[in-house]
Amino acid sequence: MPAAHDVRLAASALLRNRVQTSLALLGVMVGVGALVTSIALGRGAQASIHDQLLAAGANTIVVTAGNYQVERPPNNEETVGHGTAAAAVLRPSGPDVVVSLDRLDAGFAGGRFIRSHYEDDPMAVHDHPTAKERLGDTMAGLGAAATLTLEDATAIRDELPGVQFVSSGVHENARIAVDIVGGRSWLTRLHGTEADLPSIRRGWTFPHGRFLKAAEVQGSEQVMVLGRVVADRLFGEGVDPVGRVVKLWNQPFKIVGVVGSRTWTSQPVAGDDQFDAVYVPVTAVHKLLNLSKLNTITVTTKSAGETTQIAKQIAVLLRKRHGISESMSDDFTVKSQAQQALGKGLPPDLARIVSANMGSVDQLTVEQLSASLQKTNGTLLALLAGVAAVSLLVGGIGVMNLLLLSVMQRTREIGLRMALGARAADISRQFVLEGVVLAAVGGVFGALLGALAADLLNRWLGWAALVAPLSVVLALIVALLLGVASALYPARRAAQLDPIRALTHE
Amino acid sequence: MTSPLISLQDLKKRYQLGDNTVHALRGATLDIMPGEFVAITGPSGSGKSTLMHILGCLDRPTEGRYLLGGQDVSNLSRDQLADIRNRQIGFVFQGFNLLPRTTALENVEVPLLYSRPLMPAPERRAKALAALTSMGLADRADHHPSQLSGGQQQRVAIARALVNEPSLILADEPTGNLDTRTSIEVMRTLQELREKRSITIVLITHEPDIAAYGTRVISVRDGLIRSDTPNQPRSATDEQIALEPIADVA
Ligand SMILES: Nc1ncnc2c1ncn2[C@@H]1O[C@H](COP(=O)(O)OP(=O)(O)OP(=O)(O)O)[C@@H](O)[C@H]1O
Ligand SMILES: [Mg+2]
Repeated sequence: MPAAHDVRLAASALLRNRVQTSLALLGVMVGVGALVTSIALGRGAQASIHDQLLAAGANTIVVTAGNYQVERPPNNEETVGHGTAAAAVLRPSGPDVVVSLDRLDAGFAGGRFIRSHYEDDPMAVHDHPTAKERLGDTMAGLGAAATLTLEDATAIRDELPGVQFVSSGVHENARIAVDIVGGRSWLTRLHGTEADLPSIRRGWTFPHGRFLKAAEVQGSEQVMVLGRVVADRLFGEGVDPVGRVVKLWNQPFKIVGVVGSRTWTSQPVAGDDQFDAVYVPVTAVHKLLNLSKLNTITVTTKSAGETTQIAKQIAVLLRKRHGISESMSDDFTVKSQAQQALGKGLPPDLARIVSANMGSVDQLTVEQLSASLQKTNGTLLALLAGVAAVSLLVGGIGVMNLLLLSVMQRTREIGLRMALGARAADISRQFVLEGVVLAAVGGVFGALLGALAADLLNRWLGWAALVAPLSVVLALIVALLLGVASALYPARRAAQLDPIRALTHE
Repeated sequence: MTSPLISLQDLKKRYQLGDNTVHALRGATLDIMPGEFVAITGPSGSGKSTLMHILGCLDRPTEGRYLLGGQDVSNLSRDQLADIRNRQIGFVFQGFNLLPRTTALENVEVPLLYSRPLMPAPERRAKALAALTSMGLADRADHHPSQLSGGQQQRVAIARALVNEPSLILADEPTGNLDTRTSIEVMRTLQELREKRSITIVLITHEPDIAAYGTRVISVRDGLIRSDTPNQPRSATDEQIALEPIADVA
């Protein structure tokens, strides 16, 4: 029997029962739509997890000057780096070059004269919202060991092939003042850094202006990028401060940009290290403070999976550069940020799921973190696939029901066709084709519906969704298989009818 | 001497209805030569349709042999029987059995859709149209059955029976739904098929008037052949001419 004729016949047969056909079509559409949407959501979640993982610094390694673990007394385990108590315990092992912290003495900020660095006085009452966290920062006390140099950073950048970006850093607390009516100032975190930092902090956006340029770093220019929180506090919420001048250490710095967060894993809050902070060229800090050492070197690896390995290579390289012999311990600390990603980079719910899936957080590697997230995502995907499967099953039952009705209504026609020479296969093909035509139409509209639903979920609820062309093709194939599968039983019933009974059927 | 087109040898058909066995055919032995116009008559329940279904390869006998064109078809598979129906047998039913919502031309084309090898579509069209034309219905090719009179519908059905050039036409009460005038018209068509194309015709009727158009009349009763007599057929053509003036008066 010719194909074109067959399809036409199937279409006209389907049009005979418009209501039932519409309902069956709706069933297929919902099933296929659910499939497309669930695949889109699954893929979206996967992409988003990868994105968040990187944004949270999963491929980031931080090299810190000093090595506080070396001299930690064994009986003092519960004391974890706080204020003066910590300072006594955490003694840097590197050469004892002490960075002077009294440079704020001369600072005239907000019309008030500041005598000393606010963290210098253990008795001081810190009303700054960041003070408490700041003291708990792993950086506190470590930066005092001046063992890292810009040359170290260059060596890491040039000698290790798996390294993606390197940014050296000097980190201080500083008061930023702005000359507006009444005067305003904000005590915040200061990062002397390089132009590559936004590539390392993938979750950044620039609502105003831009980040530091390589030329500005090269030329030790007095330019500054404000964290969102700082910009809001100094200039008011949402005000564009680009082009304005602020004072740091009584020196004018021109604002070139404001940095904010684009991910849900971290939103700017007062006291955080990224957005309640300002960024200036590391060279400018070196020049103004007459320094040459770095507190940190931040490194990202090209692949999140290589982070652990590259962290080891960095340690080897730096030991060699610093001339540290076998028996001596490191004068720096290399830490990959997987742990930090788990702790603070991820939203609490996700972090809880991840840690529930982990053996021990201490031994956490990026690979494990990633695997754990994929596993969580896999569970979610399986759930979505289950929903899609049930919808498809219901759709298939609808198709089968319609075809059984069709077989019953057309019993006489089937008998006649048999009398005129149709073989069993001719009859069954006719009904299978009806199912396929139905499924194809339902599949196309269902795929569109599913893509639309994914888009709307993405737009209205902010769910990550990714409709891939391949998933649409897959959905259409599934729809066709569904059509065939649902048609098999009705088709078999039709083909096995007795010609005489069928012909005399009322 | 030519061999028979149909040869039945002690053909029996039983139906099992629970504990009861219905003997629809109790042993029919019969030869039908090519070009015969056989009218089978008998009272209701005598087994006419049962015989017809077996002759038409729609059913298989419980016992006995059925040779069609020399080939034993008593024990062929369903698909093999389908092919024989398609190539060698044309059916004309009492209720016409045309597909609704389908044009006359497409109805005539249906048997060609199941022919092996499959004919190209234009060829199918042409053959179907030729069959319709031979029934004088070329101008009705695009009409649906509901737009045709009973006589026209039955002629579309005859065109469909002819389209694959069968050697045998089986007609079960073809005039059962028609008035006298139209019945004569259909009988004339069947007589012409026999005379001009020497197609063998087996017709079932319980009306002696209709049986009289055959060249041979077989009477069946209780599943047995009671009489089998040659007949000088009435000429439908003559009767139609005789009817014309009446039609004019009416
Ligand atoms: N499928 C069947 N199952 C059971 N019995 C049947 C079946 N078909 C026919 N019969 C019986 O076989 C006998 C012959 O039936 P058949 O239809 O051949 O009669 P008929 O001569 O065609 O009658 P009518 O003139 O009323 O059409 C009847 O008694 C009928 O009840
Ligand atoms: Mg009958």
